[in-house]
Amino acid sequence: MIPSIQLPSQKYKRKVTAFSLVIIVVSTACIYMDFNPLGFFTEFHFVRDLLGEMMPPNFNVLWSSSSVGFSFLQTMSMAFLGTLYGGVIAITIAFLAANNTMPARVVRMIARAALSLLRVIPALVVILIFVIAVGLGSFAGVLTLVVITVGTFGKLFTEIIENTENPPSEAIYSAGASRVQVIRYSVIPQILPSFVANLLYAFDVNVRAAIGLGIFGGGGIGFQLYLSLRVLHYQDAMAYICFIILLVISVEKLSDYLRRKILNDGKF
Amino acid sequence: MLEVKQLIKSLPNGRKVLNGISFKVEKGEFVGILGPSGAGKTLTLRCLNGLLKPDSGSVVVQGTDGKRVDICQISKRELRRARQKIGVIFQGNHLVKRLSALENVMIGRLGQISTFRSILYGFTDAEAAEAVAALEKVKMEHMADVRTGNMSGGEMQRVAIARAIFQSPTLLLADEPISSLDPSNARVIMKLIKPLSENIPVVGVFHQPDMTAKYCTRVIAIKDGKVIYDGDPHLSENLLAEIYGEELQQIEANKNIPALIPSEPTLVHTS
Repeated sequence: MIPSIQLPSQKYKRKVTAFSLVIIVVSTACIYMDFNPLGFFTEFHFVRDLLGEMMPPNFNVLWSSSSVGFSFLQTMSMAFLGTLYGGVIAITIAFLAANNTMPARVVRMIARAALSLLRVIPALVVILIFVIAVGLGSFAGVLTLVVITVGTFGKLFTEIIENTENPPSEAIYSAGASRVQVIRYSVIPQILPSFVANLLYAFDVNVRAAIGLGIFGGGGIGFQLYLSLRVLHYQDAMAYICFIILLVISVEKLSDYLRRKILNDGKF
Repeated sequence: MLEVKQLIKSLPNGRKVLNGISFKVEKGEFVGILGPSGAGKTLTLRCLNGLLKPDSGSVVVQGTDGKRVDICQISKRELRRARQKIGVIFQGNHLVKRLSALENVMIGRLGQISTFRSILYGFTDAEAAEAVAALEKVKMEHMADVRTGNMSGGEMQRVAIARAIFQSPTLLLADEPISSLDPSNARVIMKLIKPLSENIPVVGVFHQPDMTAKYCTRVIAIKDGKVIYDGDPHLSENLLAEIYGEELQQIEANKNIPALIPSEPTLVHTS
């Protein structure tokens, strides 16, 4: 008797079923959304025309307008402050949420619930709320970055704390040390490099987010781009886009370099 | 001195892992606890400094102020006080790898300084000097600034001993301090631990009857949670067979390894 294997014909039937399902879902979605895939080709000339109007980029705007330097600083400060405050709050909540640093189960559950709540709110919803609450500008942007940094990194930090080695902590407890002392002398030395590396990554992410948030009223270089598009100065807009790409790439490279240095050389 | 009376500990499934362990250790004694795997040796040791709370029984030690305290009865705060004077050497891997040898040694006295100072300032220069002196006793002062994560098992264990010395304990416990080391390093560690027993009682859990015969002043054998032997460290073949049962063959096999290595190693600077 043949052992229970999957026969080639059965496999084939499965593949056909799966493929037809995908086709059905995609075409239903397209019909429902009134989305014509051919539009990629028939409407492409609009994109080409716009790009044509954007060329050549008017780089003069980058140094002739006094607000550009200020906007750049504003974006970078937003990302920096958002990372700093968000990082401090994320670390604090992470210590309250990790089971090896917080013995009270109720506190842990509250801290974890807070982190989950912050994680599920999309950044764009957060900025809309803050813009209404505190008005347009970089303050709303910083507050938004704080919320998304805590949401993204709080849980990660909790896991890093929980994954520390327990034997050294046990040895320190054995010498009569208190919980706070164990955290200071065993947990913190172990988590420091990954925390610093993750905060550098957070800064990298937040620079990009800060540019995006600028468009929604957070101020900074993103807002400049938005303005130039609204007044149809497409060549200025292209210059801003080039500047933003350059900025994002350099921040990413720098944070990558520092992270690798910290994790490999272990200078922390 | 240390007095253990009728320690009883059951697992949640009802199995009695410690079934009335009693013994007494005076200063000047270096007691080795032997026994097959799962006999309750390490559990007993963990009861001695309160890492594990037995169901019943008592562990009486000399407290910081000279008074006797029962580890099993005191409050958490008093337990922390009592632990300040109980040095423990673990089975490797118990140092903070990202801190230097010196910092690891100073950690031994964390319980003796205020939490406030330990967070905001740390240790004083005088304490660092004392810690270096402790490292000198184990011939590791030249590696004081090296991270323990970059050290070999033997070097780490020597730092652990320095930490226990720095703590100036009134009781020293050692939980399989040589089980992860090669025979030559194991002898170095035993030779460092032995002189400490002149002033304070030392209790260690071991897996090597030949080591305890050579360095310990007394051996306690534990099997199935009971003390089955307490006395002279030189055990007869019959006794060993009784203690270890089927595990004896493995022990004998391990015993032949030291023969390949020159006996009586001396402490040397390794860098």
